[in-house]
Amino acid sequence: MRPPARLRRSGCTARRAVRVLALLAALGGRAGAVLAATLVIHVQTPDGHALAGAVVTVRPLDAPPRRPAPAHALMDQVNRAFAPDLLVIPVGSTVAFPNSDSVSHQIYSFSAAKRFQLPLYRGKPYPPVQFDQSGVITLGCNIHDDMLAYLLVTDAPYFGRTDAQGAWSTDVPRGRYRVSVWHPRLRESEADLERELTVGDADRADLQLRLLKSLQPAPITDRPHSWDY
Amino acid sequence: MPNPPHLQVPLRARCPSAALLTLLALAATSRAADWEMSLDTRLVSSDAGRSFMDGGLGATRYDRNDSGAQLGRARFALTASLGELWSAHLDAYAWDDKDRSPVGVTEAYLQFRPYPRAGYRFRLKAGAFYPPISLENRAAGWESPYTLSYSAINTWLAVEVRTIGLEGQLDWLGTRTGHDFDLGLTAGAFGWNEGAGVVLASDGFMLHDRQTPVFGRVGQPGAAPLGAVEPFQQFDGRTGVYAGVEVRWLDRVVLRVLRYDNRADPTAMDFVSGAIAWQTRFNSAGLRVESGTGWTAILQWLDGETLIAPPGLQLVWPFRAQFALLSKRFGRQTLSARYDRFEVETNVPDGDGWQIGHAFTAAWLFDADAHWRVALEWLRVRSDSYYRTEVAGPPLVTETQLQLAVRYAFGSGAR
Repeated sequence: MRPPARLRRSGCTARRAVRVLALLAALGGRAGAVLAATLVIHVQTPDGHALAGAVVTVRPLDAPPRRPAPAHALMDQVNRAFAPDLLVIPVGSTVAFPNSDSVSHQIYSFSAAKRFQLPLYRGKPYPPVQFDQSGVITLGCNIHDDMLAYLLVTDAPYFGRTDAQGAWSTDVPRGRYRVSVWHPRLRESEADLERELTVGDADRADLQLRLLKSLQPAPITDRPHSWDY
Repeated sequence: MPNPPHLQVPLRARCPSAALLTLLALAATSRAADWEMSLDTRLVSSDAGRSFMDGGLGATRYDRNDSGAQLGRARFALTASLGELWSAHLDAYAWDDKDRSPVGVTEAYLQFRPYPRAGYRFRLKAGAFYPPISLENRAAGWESPYTLSYSAINTWLAVEVRTIGLEGQLDWLGTRTGHDFDLGLTAGAFGWNEGAGVVLASDGFMLHDRQTPVFGRVGQPGAAPLGAVEPFQQFDGRTGVYAGVEVRWLDRVVLRVLRYDNRADPTAMDFVSGAIAWQTRFNSAGLRVESGTGWTAILQWLDGETLIAPPGLQLVWPFRAQFALLSKRFGRQTLSARYDRFEVETNVPDGDGWQIGHAFTAAWLFDADAHWRVALEWLRVRSDSYYRTEVAGPPLVTETQLQLAVRYAFGSGAR
């Protein structure tokens, strides 16, 4: 059975009162001011180990959708591999593919969120690519078949990746949220890993998510890229 | 004045040679070309019988007269983009072994490589290249990253099998669309293959790393007992075909199955050279499993027959071979062990060409950096061969070859 989303309440009401007062003072005592709390998401593998590098996106359910500002990101090609091999970017962002290798690459995606083809010849800069639709984009190289990377384009105002302890946190106004988790090697659907939670009066809300299926094995990285794979 | 023998190119080889030259010229003008040169030198100790390149029946590349310093090979490779969707590939080798030309082309082809669409990828190759059979020869230049000498199966492919023609491949890229599997279908059509099988029926299986250049030869003219043969000839006007399936599980497991038939006319004979067309067909299968901890296991299997039918006769040589290879990478070092079994039978009444044997190979490879590689290989082949009795030797022989190789590579593709 799926573990329930757990919300832990902070027991320290005195400290909370001080923070609320301080915040109210800072806001000049305006009526209807939104109070913030820290949302901490913990992602675990089916056997209970921390899952690092999982992408967490958080969308408010009862506030008007607020899109994050587009960013300018960079995904390089180094030693016949994408660096980094996963980027999370807001909708409307651009990504540059500079190609630091001495060999040419031909980057492509046939993912629904963005289909594109981009030849990267040595010493020839190419304009960044814009990503206007949310979704997962799988990137490959038409010359080097083992090159693989992902772009997660999101319209969620809060997003990030879990740390080595499998945790990721952000400050959010109180309210109801939908939390989604994604990983390139996930074997279950993203919908199965969605949770709703309410960030109430407490300073901190914790949500623990455990995958139901183990991840695919990680790609072999120490194999020479010149090999037929 | 007649040309010296090494400059004489048979008429039938001129047309493809012209195509290769055109390809090279196109590649040289390309704006995106990667090239690599490498030199592989060896220190060899061998007690094997006379090498196949000297007309003998030794199952290894170097025989007892070759002990000492040797040129493993010199290689020049070029990959060039011709526009966005076409590319040209060339692999040229010098083996220092008295072939017709000191430098030979082992592979030269054009590849059409449209971008994958909707999870499917199509590729087309035209020229001279290896059919997709070996799971061992995965490094650049169709070399093995595990051992110096290839397995018996893949040595035979290196000696006699090349696609000089067209190959299409359609892949379903499941792993790029959220699945655990990829699936590939391959089909090829080729010519210049009437000689494929003649080396197997005379020398039998061998274990070495010499790749016969396209339109090159095996052995020496007039050298007893086997002389020289040319695997890549065309005189029966028939087109050979192959078709195969490949299944991949993530980047860990590859399974390949392929059916090959050169469809040669076994009654055909080239009236100029006297060469006979060898009808060769086989099934092959291979499995390669890799772990995330540096382990690789490869199994390959080959089963087929080659036959000729001069007037009133039909002479058949069924052949089969298998090998198992286990390898472990430790950082820049690779330790590998392989066991090969091979057998050539025949219906010729006195057993001409019959051979059975097995081989053990152990190798240590050290890739110091992108340029330098050191390798040490021990190879022991025990084989029983009909033809050894023909040359007044014992038919059952154990041959051992020890090689220390130092390779230096440079160029834009070697980084």
